[in-house]
Amino acid sequence: MNKVIQINLGGLPFTFDEDAYADLDDYLARLDSYFRGSLGHAEIMSDIESRLAELFGQGTKGRSIVVTSDVSAAIATLGQPEDLGASVSDDDEEVVHDRSRPRHGRHSKRIKDYGYSSYGRRLMRDPEDKVVSGVCSGLAAYFGTDTVWVRVAFAAAFFGAGIGLLPYIILWIIMPEARTAADRLAMRGEALDLQSISRQVEYEATQLTDRVRDWGDDVKRNGWQNPFYCNAKGSRNQRPSRNSEQARKRYSDEGYVA
Amino acid sequence: MNIENTKAQLRKGALELVVLSIIRQEEEAYPTDIINRLKESELIVVEGTLYPLLSRLKVGGLLDYVWRESTSGPPRKYYRLTPSGDTFLNELHSSWRSLVDAVDNTTKTLSYHE
Repeated sequence: MNKVIQINLGGLPFTFDEDAYADLDDYLARLDSYFRGSLGHAEIMSDIESRLAELFGQGTKGRSIVVTSDVSAAIATLGQPEDLGASVSDDDEEVVHDRSRPRHGRHSKRIKDYGYSSYGRRLMRDPEDKVVSGVCSGLAAYFGTDTVWVRVAFAAAFFGAGIGLLPYIILWIIMPEARTAADRLAMRGEALDLQSISRQVEYEATQLTDRVRDWGDDVKRNGWQNPFYCNAKGSRNQRPSRNSEQARKRYSDEGYVA
Repeated sequence: MNIENTKAQLRKGALELVVLSIIRQEEEAYPTDIINRLKESELIVVEGTLYPLLSRLKVGGLLDYVWRESTSGPPRKYYRLTPSGDTFLNELHSSWRSLVDAVDNTTKTLSYHE
C-alpha cells in the first residue's frame, strides 16, 4: 500500500506513486543542478519535463498511476546527468569563440583549464587538519606533499635556526581559512563539479557524525562539554582538563584565542 | 584507449550537423520527432543530449521555435532554422564533406601501405 501524489508535469496532470515521485524529484533536481549556469537553463528543464510527460503518457498505457519502474524507464531513455556529455559551459564557450570574440573565448577557456590542474590550487589554511592553525597542512595540500614534512621543516626552522616563527605567523595572517567544501576542494586543486562537492559534503557529514558520537560517549562518561571544542580528529587527550585556569592557558597556547 | 569513448566523441561532433539537417528537411521539427530520427540512425544514446544542444543552437541564433497546438496534450514547441542557421548549416555541411573526403583518402593510403 502506498500514498499517491498528484502532479503537473509539462502541463499534463499525473498521479504518481509516492516512491516514483521521490525518484523523479531527485532526478529533476540533479538535472537542474547539472544545467544550472548554462544559457537557457530554464528552457532545457521545461523541454525535458515535457518529454518526461510524453514518456509517462505512453509508458503507462492506460494505467492510471505512474510507478517507480516507469520512472526508471524514462530516466534510462533520457539519461543521467553524467551521461549527457562534456560540461555544458564548455560548449557555450565554443559558441562565443565561433561568433565574435575568439580571443576572449580561448583565454577564458585556458584559465578554466588551469582551474582544474595543480596550478589552480589555492593556498589556504586547513582547519580540519591542524595542530596550531592549519598553515602546514594548507602548504602541504598546495605543494602536494605530506603534512608531516612541512611540520618537520617548520619545527626545524624554529628550534634549529630560530627563524621559523616569524614566517609562520605571517603565513597564518595572509592565508585564508578554507571554510566551505568548495574552499577545501580549491585548496587541493580538485575540480569544482557536482560530484566532487557532494563527495566532500558527504565526507564532512561523516566527520561531524563521528565527532558528535565521540561527544555523546564523552557525555556519558564525564558530563557535558562543548562538542566543537576538541579538534577535528576528536582526540580527547588534547582537550583541556576541568581546571579552568590550566584549560585557558592551553587553549591560548594552541592558538584558539588570538 | 576506450573505443566507446572515441565513438561517442565522433557522434557528438556530427550531432550538430545532423540535427540542423533534420530540422531543414522537416522545415519545422518537434524535438521528439528529431529524437526518433536520431534513434533510427543510432546517433544518440540518451535523449537528454538533444535538449541542451537545441538550447545552445537557439541561443547562438541558429534556431528559433514556434508553439503549435497539438491534438494530444499541451501545445508543442517546433524548431526551425533562422537565416543565419541556414548559412551555418551550408558551411558546416561543406566542411563535413571535405573532412570525410580527407579522412577517406588518408585511411585509403594507409591501408595500401599495409
